Amino acid sequence: MARRFIPTLSVFMLLAFAGLMASAPLAAARAATNEASARAAGHEAGAARFIESLSDRAIKSLTTKGITRSKRIVRFRRFFADRFAVRGIGKWILGRYWRKASKDERAEYLRLFENLMVVSYVDRFASYAGESLKLVKTVPDNATTTTVYTEIVQPAGGAAVRIDWRVGFKDNHYKIVDVIVEGTSMSNTLRSDFGSIIRQKGGSIAGLISALREKTASLK
Amino acid sequence: MTAIPTIKSIARFFPVFLILSLALFASGCATAPAPGDAAAVAEYNKVNDPAEPAMRVIFEFNRTLDHAVLKPVSAAYKSAVPDLIREGIYNFLNNLRSPIVFINDILQGNPERAMQTLARFMVNTTVGFLGFNDQAAALGMPYHDEDFGQTLATWGAGEGPYLVLPILGPSNPRDTIGMAVDFFMDPINTVMSNLDGDWGIFAFKGGRAVGFRARYWDEIGDLEKTSLDYYATVRSLYRQRRNDEIRNGKPPEMVPGPSIGTKQDIPSPGVADEVSQLR
Repeated sequence: MARRFIPTLSVFMLLAFAGLMASAPLAAARAATNEASARAAGHEAGAARFIESLSDRAIKSLTTKGITRSKRIVRFRRFFADRFAVRGIGKWILGRYWRKASKDERAEYLRLFENLMVVSYVDRFASYAGESLKLVKTVPDNATTTTVYTEIVQPAGGAAVRIDWRVGFKDNHYKIVDVIVEGTSMSNTLRSDFGSIIRQKGGSIAGLISALREKTASLK
Repeated sequence: MTAIPTIKSIARFFPVFLILSLALFASGCATAPAPGDAAAVAEYNKVNDPAEPAMRVIFEFNRTLDHAVLKPVSAAYKSAVPDLIREGIYNFLNNLRSPIVFINDILQGNPERAMQTLARFMVNTTVGFLGFNDQAAALGMPYHDEDFGQTLATWGAGEGPYLVLPILGPSNPRDTIGMAVDFFMDPINTVMSNLDGDWGIFAFKGGRAVGFRARYWDEIGDLEKTSLDYYATVRSLYRQRRNDEIRNGKPPEMVPGPSIGTKQDIPSPGVADEVSQLR
């Protein structure tokens, strides 16, 4: 075994040196390309500033130590409703079922959806440990949506977490329409989750509403 | 000889898998929608989980197993071992994946990433003290993973229907084949098999599972607690993660998603002042 393993290992290591030499200039070239695409016109600068201010604001007001959970919920609810396109997201998650919902069902669904998001994520801010948001690049998706690519940097080192913010722009306002963590989209995941419940309830929005009510009550 | 003990132990497990897959067909398939309902048919195809009822049974089995074994072991690991040491073990196990990642980098026609994998292995095995210290990441060469499932995808293979494998978790035919090919192709498995028999391979896989469970402890707990349908949530996340891994983290061409569409999303006057300051 050893006789076969050692030559393999040394070839591997020799090649490694070559790799070390080759990778530095390539990285530099890649960084230059990213910068060029970020200069394209549109709402990029505004969207990037919006995300930066969002992060500052969240760290300042939501991660405060020693406040009660209900106080944090109040703050986060306001923050969430301010910065996220709750109706746009909620509507898209339902997809074709949105059209089937009555006006009252839509309002109740949106209220419960907001509640679920608030109670699901509020505790994350309590355990904040000095992570910071690093802007990577901003790329327009279409006339109204821009993606701001960021990384969450851990204070203790370790791998950064990729977070892409899809920011919508309308009537002079920026709103988050999706958050994509390491390639997994919040809106897409919720669409699968809620969609599965609706199908199980035979296509009924009332069924989803009662499941949402149960879930938010259990998390309060 | 080389990988034969490994093949033997796989063969020992094979009847178990056979029985499970037979039970799977016995427990039935998902009911397809009426062919006339185009929207429902499109949704059914998009979900692409024809054996859903059976898969849910396996999913619950895995979840029970997680709660009985993996979760308590990971909890003990998380509380007994300091963060810094855990990070070291995580790096060490990642470093042992270098050969199979390198092979798949090459198979995907990506010499640049292959070189990076080699360079990382070189730096971390030596300066990084057998891989415990990820020095290469500090030098601007972060870890990346590859596997044969991803390689098949880059060669144009589709994922096929969603599968949940007993013990091994979410998968699909492409990734199941990929996992099997990696198992036999991985030089580390061959080396370990020759050194001490098969236990080393299973310790390595088990160690990675515990490391993963402990690392994403909060995220997994939150998902389980806050999702309405945990099964559907995991199915969606698995697909999205795999697609992201296949693209090596590059954004997809077209992302479906919501947009601001209605006046209700535009803030009321009181809030507007605060938001407009941001521009």
